[in-house]
Amino acid sequence: MASQNSVMAYNDQVLVEEKSLTRILVLNRPKQLNALSYPMISRLLDLFVAYEADPNVKLIILKGNGRAFCAGGDVAAVVHDIRKANWKSGAQFFTKEFTLNYVIATYTKPQVSILNGIVMGGGNGVSMHGRFRVATETSVFAMPETALGLFPDIGASYFLSRLPGFFGEYVGLTGARLDGAEMLACGLATHFVPATKLSLLEEALYKVDSSDSNIISAIIDCYSQQPYLKDQSAYKRSVLSPHSSHFSLDVIDRCFSRKTVEDILSALERESMGKADDWINNTIQSLKKASPTSLKISLRSIREGRIQGVGQCLTREFRMVCHFMEGKLSKDFFEGCRAILLDKDRNPKWEPARLELISEGMVEQFFSRMDDEEWDDLKLPSRSNFVLPRHAIAKL
Amino acid sequence: MSSESPTDRASRRTRILSNHLTTSDLQVGGNSLQSNICLSYSPPELHEKIEFEVRKMRELLDVHNLQDRDWLFGLMMQSKLFNPQEKGGKVFVMPDFNHTKEQQREMTMKRIEYLLERGVFDGWLTTRGPETEMRKFAFMETLGIFDQSLAIKIGVHFFLWGGAIQFFGTKRHHDKWLRDTETYRIKGCFAMTELGHGSNVRGIETVATYDPKTDEFVITTPCESAQKYWIGGAANHATHTVVFSQLNINGRNQGVHAFIVQLRDFDGNICPNIRIADCGHKIGLNGVDNGRIWFDNVRIPRENLLNSVADVTPDGQYKSAIQDPDQRFAAFLAPLTSGRVTISLSAIYSAQIGLAIAIRYALSRRAFSFVPNEPEVLLLDYPSHQRRLLPLVAKTYAMTCAGNYLKKMYVKRTPESNKTIHVVSSGFKAVLTWHNMRTLQECREACGGQGLKTENQVGHLKGEYDVQSTFEGDNNVLMQQVSKALLGEFIAAKKKNKPFKGLGLEYMNEPWPVIPSQLTSDILRSSNFQITTLRLRERDLLNRFAAEMSQHQSSGVNKEYAFALGYQLAEDLGRAFSDRIIFETFLNDEGTVSTGPMKDVVGKLRSLYALTCMEEDAAFLRYGYLSTEKAAAVRAEVAKLCSELRPHALGLVSSFGVPGAFLSPIAFNWIDSNAWSSSSA
Repeated sequence: MASQNSVMAYNDQVLVEEKSLTRILVLNRPKQLNALSYPMISRLLDLFVAYEADPNVKLIILKGNGRAFCAGGDVAAVVHDIRKANWKSGAQFFTKEFTLNYVIATYTKPQVSILNGIVMGGGNGVSMHGRFRVATETSVFAMPETALGLFPDIGASYFLSRLPGFFGEYVGLTGARLDGAEMLACGLATHFVPATKLSLLEEALYKVDSSDSNIISAIIDCYSQQPYLKDQSAYKRSVLSPHSSHFSLDVIDRCFSRKTVEDILSALERESMGKADDWINNTIQSLKKASPTSLKISLRSIREGRIQGVGQCLTREFRMVCHFMEGKLSKDFFEGCRAILLDKDRNPKWEPARLELISEGMVEQFFSRMDDEEWDDLKLPSRSNFVLPRHAIAKL
Repeated sequence: MSSESPTDRASRRTRILSNHLTTSDLQVGGNSLQSNICLSYSPPELHEKIEFEVRKMRELLDVHNLQDRDWLFGLMMQSKLFNPQEKGGKVFVMPDFNHTKEQQREMTMKRIEYLLERGVFDGWLTTRGPETEMRKFAFMETLGIFDQSLAIKIGVHFFLWGGAIQFFGTKRHHDKWLRDTETYRIKGCFAMTELGHGSNVRGIETVATYDPKTDEFVITTPCESAQKYWIGGAANHATHTVVFSQLNINGRNQGVHAFIVQLRDFDGNICPNIRIADCGHKIGLNGVDNGRIWFDNVRIPRENLLNSVADVTPDGQYKSAIQDPDQRFAAFLAPLTSGRVTISLSAIYSAQIGLAIAIRYALSRRAFSFVPNEPEVLLLDYPSHQRRLLPLVAKTYAMTCAGNYLKKMYVKRTPESNKTIHVVSSGFKAVLTWHNMRTLQECREACGGQGLKTENQVGHLKGEYDVQSTFEGDNNVLMQQVSKALLGEFIAAKKKNKPFKGLGLEYMNEPWPVIPSQLTSDILRSSNFQITTLRLRERDLLNRFAAEMSQHQSSGVNKEYAFALGYQLAEDLGRAFSDRIIFETFLNDEGTVSTGPMKDVVGKLRSLYALTCMEEDAAFLRYGYLSTEKAAAVRAEVAKLCSELRPHALGLVSSFGVPGAFLSPIAFNWIDSNAWSSSSA
């Protein structure tokens, strides 16, 4: 029996506005920075599925209430569920969430996500797979899972691995924060619109009577700006510029293309030798603070994701996340949640504590099917009855 | 038809087209994205089911260093140097074959430098052991999936030049050259083939004469036919080469030996007394700078003789632990087997690319209807199309397992196993490279006109891979060597009245088998029947071959000529031997799969492989291993197996593990990649 609370949450935590053929979905848990709860994910999935079949819907806008778009999945609740019952009840959250991510990635109608403020973790799962991602000057992007003892999930191994060069490895392993200009530069955002123009943009989108991507794109273009990419931007370090002799421009490319996490770290350390570079030092520090298990698994996940379709990425990540929830192979996720979200001592004790203690065989286990007869791989919904748009077909 | 008016025809056409949408594709609730009634691309991922775990199947095929392979795929996909092109919303990497050969060569070299910088070649020559060798093989296979020129250029440098230093050289050579080779401070090539001599290496005409006065060898190209030919790397980049040459000591020829000669200085200028010319534009592999070399009394220090097998003392005395020149020569060439191993493997990965493309295309391209007004039929739903492609898939699976077996045998080699490796690698190299060429041609045709576009790979690859049937041993010559070796075993066993041992011939010690009189489906699919039949052919052909040889010889023909006369049986026997070992390796790998859907599929592939071998070789009928009725039963079973494997086609080619970026636009959304909006870019 669904409790009254969960029914209320289902209705209140995602608000729906109807404007002619456009539907505006508002993530509405502002106090929690719109962190995705189970009811929110369920509601979003129901809405997306219903709108796909509804000829009176041409366009979906997704945005957040308050100063964040979405700070991620409600991991604290998942941990609570697992403590209260078992890992499978926690894993159900991900079943629903990844299914939603897949539907969004293969959606037949355009989705415009307004990424004003924080967009992290699960927030990226409901936006990055969609057709249009609008960043603003307040946008803060991150996939911070390695610091939490987890790995970039929600299909991140699909979209991070497709960023230019090895920027995805950098972003996924270090949890580095990107601003709106950087999101646009690397392709995480498709547009940059100043926050003051957002309401005008939305109004223009209300009038849309077509699902044609070109038309929608042209409308957003009218409000878009070319933002200023700050000089010290990490993104500038990821692209090799033939016209510049500056040493660090392609440092991300040189270091994060290395085969193993250990190789990446030593490449960074070599780069840092003999010069004081805050960026390199911070990067090394974030890698050293992260869970070693998470780092190794995340790197492999991104590398595999690079040669897989979005569905394969999500089913693989689902296996991986189940292993983390089960806690048999590693308890780092629970330790990370304790240190960052619950006790907030910010001093997690990772186990194993060092990279060199984690063998390839140990990493391999996270990618294998759960050894549990009652537990199945993620079954993605069939999309064969839909005519998918070209960008969705390309993701299969 | 003639009574149909143009408007009728138009409306009929409209009806057919709209049927496509209503029956298979039309989205519930209507879709404004596709307002016009047209064929739309329906991705096979959405309508094909995969009933086994692709990841596990890939492990069965790729076996080792999977993460290393994926890393290298990623390195190539993420760099602009690998010419990424967006087509139909997907990014493909492929060399720009519109480039001139000079540009292609420069790009190949730049790619090598990029990979070098990222650590791909770390330890290739400075560490040893089976693990390093397997990793190198995995990397070579992966590089070849991008571009055969890239793999060959790297292969020449590390396996031929580097391998010659490692195997023919001694410590002084290792210390001096290996590290610099691994870091590409020097770039090596391998000058064996001459204009006048290829497979017959012992006939080469280049001469090295020892001059005790200066402690030097003098290398000479005495005539035009002695010019070194097809030397990969020589035309533009190589700084050093291994030269194969007759060794002349005090007027006495000691046979073929290998020497190190510097070709260019570090600024790229050709050294004195050396002339180099280009081999010109080729039908493929234009990213490799093949050149011709003449040596005009080039003087090199005595230490540059690679002296692991034989040496010359300062006062000009020839020393070798191996007295017999035949054996000495064999010892020389034995380590070069690695070339045949990498060629076999790269051939099979090329076949995988071709089949992945052709099958994916056949799962999205339709033609004609079985019933008027019904939607057109997917190419792969035609039994004839299945029959063209699926046996090639089965063979490719079997030969992938065979390639893995060869690799393992090579890295675990011992002096005792050298002969087996030589025979098996000869047979496999010929059979696998021929299989690849045939597969590519079939795939090209199966893709219709689209197969002709360079960007679609299958047609172009024919040019890139054609050389494989020639280099590192002409396939026909290799097959004869296999038969020669088998004949040797046969004669030895009969003469000494000893049982057969080695090369998998032990079964010949058993009584001759009997093929069941009734070939039911169950029997045809039993591995017991399959192996028995394949062995029966090999055994009988060997007996016939031996009989023919002794007949020729007893009529006064010498051994070599008798062998040349027996070419028909020799070729059949070489193939029978190779097919049989390939089958055994596949069967063995099937045994490692645990019961379940994947094992069922592998079992069907194994049966399809075996039965296709029987169907294709006329020897089964010619010599009566199968009666005409039984041959008909085999043929019927092949068709049945094809239709049973049809539902698994997507899973089977996905398991090849070749990332989409290394396939081609027709393997994916070929409508979109050909759209007007794509052509303007």
